[in-house]
Amino acid sequence: MADIVQPRPVLPPASGALTVRLRRLGEVTVQTLRNPVTVIGLVIIVLMFAMALLAPALTTPNEPNPYQMPRDWTALNEPPGTPGHPLGTTAHGGDVLYGVIWGSRTSLWLSIIVVAATVTIGTIVGSLAGFIGGKIDEILMRVVDVFLAIPELIFALAIAAVLGPSFSNIILALAIVYWVKYARIIRGQIIHVKQNEYVDSARVIGDTKFRIYLKDVLPNSITPVMVQATMDMGAIVLVGATLSFIGLSEAGLAEWGVLVSEGQVGISTGRWWASTFPGLMIFLWALAFNLVGDGLRDVLDPRTESR
Amino acid sequence: MQIRDYLIRRLMVLPILLIGVSIIVFALTRVGGSPIGIYMSHEMTPEEVEELEDRYGLNDPLPVQYFAWAGGVLRGDLGWSGVAVAPVTQVFRGKLAATMELATAAGLVAVTLGITLGTFAGSRRDRLPDHLTRVFSVSGSSMPDFWFAIVLLIVFWVYLGWFPVGRSDPAIWASIAHPTGLYTIDSLMAGSWQAFRDAIWHLVLPAITLGLATTAIITRMMRSSLVEELNEDYVDAARAKGLPERLVLKRHARRNALIPTMTVIGLSFGFLLQGTVVVEIIYQWPGLGRWLADAVLRGDQATIMAYVLFTSVLFLTVNLAVDIIYAYLDRRVVLGS
Repeated sequence: MADIVQPRPVLPPASGALTVRLRRLGEVTVQTLRNPVTVIGLVIIVLMFAMALLAPALTTPNEPNPYQMPRDWTALNEPPGTPGHPLGTTAHGGDVLYGVIWGSRTSLWLSIIVVAATVTIGTIVGSLAGFIGGKIDEILMRVVDVFLAIPELIFALAIAAVLGPSFSNIILALAIVYWVKYARIIRGQIIHVKQNEYVDSARVIGDTKFRIYLKDVLPNSITPVMVQATMDMGAIVLVGATLSFIGLSEAGLAEWGVLVSEGQVGISTGRWWASTFPGLMIFLWALAFNLVGDGLRDVLDPRTESR
Repeated sequence: MQIRDYLIRRLMVLPILLIGVSIIVFALTRVGGSPIGIYMSHEMTPEEVEELEDRYGLNDPLPVQYFAWAGGVLRGDLGWSGVAVAPVTQVFRGKLAATMELATAAGLVAVTLGITLGTFAGSRRDRLPDHLTRVFSVSGSSMPDFWFAIVLLIVFWVYLGWFPVGRSDPAIWASIAHPTGLYTIDSLMAGSWQAFRDAIWHLVLPAITLGLATTAIITRMMRSSLVEELNEDYVDAARAKGLPERLVLKRHARRNALIPTMTVIGLSFGFLLQGTVVVEIIYQWPGLGRWLADAVLRGDQATIMAYVLFTSVLFLTVNLAVDIIYAYLDRRVVLGS
């Protein structure tokens, strides 16, 4: 029998790196959960997400469009505690509880779409600038500077106004405004990471530029983006609700900012509930993501731990 | 790099940024289709519309249109405001005074409160006051200002009746002259105690609302830089020579901690300015922000674009000033870059 000893297959480095990364992720999770304040934030987020996902089960979805407030014209301006309307109704007979619950779904859509879009665009632009450098870097960063020169809310407001009032235009406007932050973060990180020895060694063993970027540079640059993205999950809802409040969403949309705006007219006559509950939800949403983002930063970036 | 070179470089980038902003603003006016809609009426024939477009140069290539528009802006022609039914520049000044008065009041609240709270927390690190301050600053930056305004109104206007809405009592407002347009200053110049009281009375709630988020940011920055400074060697040296803790804090640590806080204060100016939009809507404050909100809802492009241009120019200028001051105060910045 031919005695050919097969050399043991060498594990591709990627799987080794993956194990290390998974272990690191586990460590980060454990460390993050050690901070009670972060856990409070996490609990709020879980509850909000659960509410958003279970919205069709928690309420009777409005036909044909569940994101539009149902109108009960026989129950206008009912105070909280009214049978069938535990949080009261609006001046148009909208059930405040329905708005609170479906508003979480609207907010979830808004924040996930905007954060995903801005992180993607920002990562691509920031990577091109940081990894390639030179003229491309110079041009891209000037574009970023121009975008940063216009105050965020005003910029988003102007874009949404030009596009016309609708919730999807608010999403688009926020995506156009918010990617620059990520481009800046990623670029800075990449320039920093590029100088590491392991990048040089990868170059020496003949890895292609793209492979070096994908395997060594990007994964080591992404951490601050995660912190920023967590914070932005909250901030986006805050700004989106502000634009809705000003009147750039469709009227009657089950969205917290729209509800606060609709409830505003009633406060002079003592009808406090229609604005108060949806507004409280915006606050809690933003608060939760700020708490978790803070906790994550403390763990991922120990330099700022004392802050 | 010398401070002078740094300055020159920063000043050279400024025009590039301004041109960039103006291109974005111009592009925005064309995204929503031809701006001819403002001048059109339903009775016009297509030929008349065509003629109108020709008169305003709307059939020219876009770059030509851009230069025509930018030239107008440089000459102070910002177009016609449909909401105010007047040229934008004419309405701007009066509204600007109202907004600046509000933003300044909010800024004063934020700076005073932020530095005080930040110092208080930073010098009591990881003790109860520090934790409470942290809760305050995280809540403050998570607060939707439009909702906070409504809650304050429900409590202090509807239920307690302590504070009014609006900017002034019309009768008292009419009783004095308004050379500056700033109600507080005008009332002092007129020597009217009644008017001054009225001005402050109307300012309290909007200024607190607008200042909250900024207070939170300043508090946070002040606290963390104070904590950092208190770990420095010079603080140990000051303590070692027997200086009382109060003086170590006041004379040494706090002074240095104020340097990074200064930048945050400068940058928060843009933040305050954009916050005026919702605050002015809710408190019925007759300023730029409310005008902008009306313009947004009624498609008054000239007003929107003037506002974007104005805030960006102001924002860039303030940022530049802050960077220069910071470079002078903390030489490491310049030498490091």
